[in-house]
Parts: sequence; structure tokens; C-alpha cells
Amino acid sequence: MRSPETGTAENAESAEKAFLSATAAPSAVESFRWLLRKECRELLASRAWWVLLLAMGPLVGVTFISAVRTYAEASGLNGTTAGVGEAFSPLIGIWAPTFSACEVAAVFLLPFVAIRLVAGDRQSGALKIETQHPMPAFARIAAKTQVLLAGWLVALLAPAVAILLWKTYGGSLYPPEVATVALGHLLNAGLTIALAAATASLTEHPSTAAILTLSVTVGTWIVNFIAAVQGGLWERAAGYTPPAMVAAFQHGLIRLDVVLIALVLVVSGLALASVWIRTGVAIRQRVRETIALTAITAAAAIACSFATSSWDTSENRTNSFSRADEAALAQIRAPLRIEAHLAPEDSRRADLERKTIAKLRRVMPALQVQYVSATSIGLFEQNTQHYGEIWYELGGRREMNRVTTVGGVLETIYALAGVTPPAETDEAEFRGHPLAVPPTGAALVFYGIWPALVVAGAFLLRRQI
Amino acid sequence: MFQARNLTKRYGRLTALSDVSFSVRRGEVLGLIGPNGSGKTTLFECVGGVLPLDAGSLMLDGRPMSDRERAATLFYLPDAIVPWPAQTVRWAIDFMLGFFRGRTYLHTEVVTRLGLEPLLDVTMGSLSKGQRKRALLGLGLLMPQPVLLADEPFEGLDLRQSRDVAQTLRSYASFGRTMFLSIHQIGDAARVCDRFVLLSGGRARGEGTSGELAALAAARGSVAGDDLEEVFLALT
Repeated sequence: MRSPETGTAENAESAEKAFLSATAAPSAVESFRWLLRKECRELLASRAWWVLLLAMGPLVGVTFISAVRTYAEASGLNGTTAGVGEAFSPLIGIWAPTFSACEVAAVFLLPFVAIRLVAGDRQSGALKIETQHPMPAFARIAAKTQVLLAGWLVALLAPAVAILLWKTYGGSLYPPEVATVALGHLLNAGLTIALAAATASLTEHPSTAAILTLSVTVGTWIVNFIAAVQGGLWERAAGYTPPAMVAAFQHGLIRLDVVLIALVLVVSGLALASVWIRTGVAIRQRVRETIALTAITAAAAIACSFATSSWDTSENRTNSFSRADEAALAQIRAPLRIEAHLAPEDSRRADLERKTIAKLRRVMPALQVQYVSATSIGLFEQNTQHYGEIWYELGGRREMNRVTTVGGVLETIYALAGVTPPAETDEAEFRGHPLAVPPTGAALVFYGIWPALVVAGAFLLRRQI
Repeated sequence: MFQARNLTKRYGRLTALSDVSFSVRRGEVLGLIGPNGSGKTTLFECVGGVLPLDAGSLMLDGRPMSDRERAATLFYLPDAIVPWPAQTVRWAIDFMLGFFRGRTYLHTEVVTRLGLEPLLDVTMGSLSKGQRKRALLGLGLLMPQPVLLADEPFEGLDLRQSRDVAQTLRSYASFGRTMFLSIHQIGDAARVCDRFVLLSGGRARGEGTSGELAALAAARGSVAGDDLEEVFLALT
């Protein structure tokens, strides 16, 4: 080390002036840029992120290859009988299963990447230094979130490669529905990142944060399970869990309430993380802020649940009635009430809900549906007097039938409303896009080239940090 | 420069700091002396804003210091941390200069004085304890705040390095930079500090120059003389 006596007089003079002068506050924008750069470098240095990238290739590969094979066989490959219709929607046949790999990665891999990035600062002691910057804690968490989302977009290159391969096979691609699926998985990743950031800030150790994050995920599965058995409010709540949200997007349905609630939860998770990352604030104060945040989140989520707009981006209009039926239903102004005496686990109820009620809700926002049952499976209710009845009430008139098909339900509604059912039209029926080609080269790309590129990238980029 | 008034910090039933008060003067090297477990790090973390205080306040110009004023006035350099372990020393310095808008003009000088040139391309996580301490001190000296709180700045340094670092810290203090150093080795403290705050059992047992502390010890009936170690033992 050099002796201080060797410092020049000029240096000393300038230093003295500088030390005694008032110090300018760091520019918020410039500091945020530095933070972004730091988080990028930390992500590149993170083994967890490279493992996520490495796994994405084979995960997407196995689902894509399997989906293309099944699609090809159903399209007549190897002498099988070719079908028609909904089965040949690439959305349902290819993209839903292919992108489901992203759901697996978002649940089991992404949380560790996020926890590493958030908890790493606390573990290394960097948080004690960074927290002394006057920048708001939310900005620090936002920087991490931006970088994590960017990292997730890089991981989404794997399904993007699948799309390219599909095009090279001559497959049909309907961009709005693929974009919807990708949006769903981006929102899901946002939820995962927000949850992981919150748990990493709340807990002292990353392993505790990981357990807590996975517990919440398992909790949403339990909610879905209870909803399937109990119905009612559980069923309504289950509609906003990540698996249900992703499922809706995978069917090409964008529901405004789902998107808004997801965004509310993402912002709340990040806000919770920023409340607890401020180690210099008293615990009582942080608890008070957490309670207030929880109340605001609940209120906002409930308010968002009343949003009724939705968009069906699927090419085959899988979430919609025919345009003629939609126009006829739009004429009905009076509120419709449906009371279905079907148990939650009765397959007829699932059929009615998925194929008819869900579509009705999109065109008749004032629709009220009530399911009535004394048991969860309905097996022991079959002999009760009203089980299986579906009551319709519209404009003071009531009618009952037991049909759960689209045609039967619409017929009853039209009759009650006094609306003439639309005539059979020549509206182009979705014939599907059969493609009888094997997934040539996909195995090489996803099991060979992708992992090799990731390993090479990790080796080169980590060395340059 | 600023005053600490009645700082109190509890961890559950354990009182780590109890009504600790002292003042920090511009351009001085103030030593916080105390045995292990006396509350030095807790005091620094509370003053640095890393831990919340249960009671007490920091005063600036006779009024409570706001969080923003504290961020502009103090920089706390913790002990036993390995920040950004995957990043190089060069990048850590650049980051801190950019993030906090540090004293860029001192970059070369600080790097040279602390002998950091050979370490610039080494990752923070690969540094030895002493190397890391020097790198962290370099970061602290480059920060824009006029007061640097360094927790155990000589920890992990050998004798020669300790002396050189002490000279460097004194040199910057002579330019007007205020240093507040937590030191458990009283010999190190005597070599570098102008004044001292004695901390024991979470309480401030005395504040002043070595002469003032010796007088305080004498007033309490001790015959400690001018030896700081004896004075410390007499007052704690």
C-alpha cells in the first residue's frame, strides 16, 4: 500500500474542498440504472437462472414433441383416421401442452431464481449497503422484478423455438391465440416472482423462503381441490388461482377480471417485499403496513372481480357461442337467473359450466348462477326429488329442464325471453388445421442444441462478469 | 457534526443499547471502543439506519435528523460482509460510485493507497479477509457522505496493513472527512482515534480524548494513568 505522504498537494486540496462541501444527492434515475445493471449481472452470475434455462429446452421439447406426434397421428399420420374440428386447433393440440412446460418451470424453478436474487443481498450483506441509498424500497424491488421478467422472457425463447419449428413443419399459426397463451404465462411468472420476492423479504433464510413459496403454491392447489368438492365461494376463488388463470389463457380467453386481479396480486406481492426489505424500519411499523396492504389488496381484488369484459382470441372461438347466438342473446335485457341442482363433482355440472355457462357469462354480464346440492359428488342425491333440475328465471317467468347441452340451454333461454332462435347460418365452422408430420429435428434442437448453447452461454458470460 | 441522544435498542428481553448518547465532531476520528458483545455493531447499525431504534434519536443542528439527511450525512460500512460475491472489485467500486454518486475523483488515489490494484479483477467472493476489508474500506472512502462509520476497520489486517490503513484514515480525516470507527482492539484505537466513546454492556461509559477519559477515571477514584487500556478497564 502506498503511504499517504506520497499524495500530491493538489489531491489533498481538492479532497479537502470536496469533503467540506455539501454533497449532492444521487440522481434517482442514474442510481436506478446502476441498480438494474447490478441486478442483470447478479442474474447472469446466478446458477439458478442458468439451470432454469437449461431445463427449459428439454421441458418444452418433451411436451412439444409429444403434442406434435399426437396431433400428427390424429391428423392421419401412420394410417390413422383423420378427424375434423376442435381437435385440430393448434391452440389446444400444440400450444397449450407446449407452454405447460412454462407452468412447471414457473412453479418449480423460477421461485428459486427470484429468491436467490432477492435474498442474496441479505445473505451477502449487500443489503446493508444498498439500503442506505435514499431510493424507495419499492424501486429496489422493481429493479429486481424487471430483471427477473427479462430473464423469464429469455427462458420463453424455448417455446419460441417450438413455434419456429412448427412453422417449418407447415403448421398453422394464429398469432392472437399464441400471444394470449404467452401473456398468461408472463402473468403467471409475474405472480411467482412477486410471491418469491415477498417470501424472500419476509424470511431470514432463502430455504425458508423457498418452503414458504412452495407452500403457497400447494395452497392454491388445495383451494382448487376444495372448490371441486365444495363449489360456491371456493369455486369463485379458485377461478383466480394461477393454475385456473393459466388454463383460461391456454384456451385463448383473456378475462379482464383475471388480468386485473393478477396485476393487483403482483403489485401487492412486490409492495409486501418492499415493506419487509426495509430492515431499518421497526417491525411493528412493518406489520401495520402489511395489514393495511392486505386490506387494500383484498378490496382491490374484490373490486376487480366485478369486471366482466373478456376477449376470446382463439381461432375456433372455443370460448364463445356462434355469432348469431351471441347477437340473439344480446337482445335479452332482463337479468337471467339459473339455479342448477347439480353437485360440484357431477360431470354434468362441469359440462354445463364449461361449455355453456362460461360462454353465457361473456355475453350476459347480469347472469346469476346458483348451484344447489346437499353433497359434493351427487351420487346419493340422484333419487331426491329435484336433483338434476335446472331452473331458468327471466323477466318473472320460470322454466325447468334437465338438459346441459349448449343447444338445450339456449333453446330454454330463447323461449323464456321470447326471442326467436337464430336460423342455422353458413357461418364458417372451424374445420381445424390437421398436420400429419412428425416432429423432425425437434429432439436434436431441444435435447442437444439448446442445452449446449445454454452451457456455452453460461461458461462465456459468467467468465466475463 | 451530529449527536446521538439516548439511543436504545432491544432484542426481545435483551437490551443491546441503553440510553447511549455521544456527539460526533467534523473532521475527527472518533473511536467506539468496547469488548465483544458490548453493542458496537448494533449501535452502528442503528446509527446507519440498517436497524430500527426502539428509542432515542440522531440530532443534526439541534433537531432530529430525517432519514434523507441521515442518508446524505452518514455511510455505514458493516463488518463481516461479502457483498456481490460474484462481481469483481473493479465493478463493485464502479457500482458504488455510480449508485451513490461517489467521489470519483478519489478513485485512483484510494485504490493506490489501499493497494487494491492487483485485486481489481478478482471477485469479491474470492478475496481473503484482509483483502476484502481493504476493498470495503476503499468503497467506504469513495462514498459521498461526510461521515464514514466503519465497523472493525482493522479486522483481518496484519500489523503493517493496520498501520497503513490507520494512516490513510487519518489522512482523509485531516481533509475534513469524519471517521467513526468501531474498534475492539484498544491498541488500534489509541493509534488512530482523536476521541473515544467507551461502550460496555450496551451503555456509554465515557466520551472524550484519552486525557479526558483518564481524568474521568481519576475522578471516579481510579489510578489508571494515561494508558487507554487501563482507563477503559477503570471506566467499564
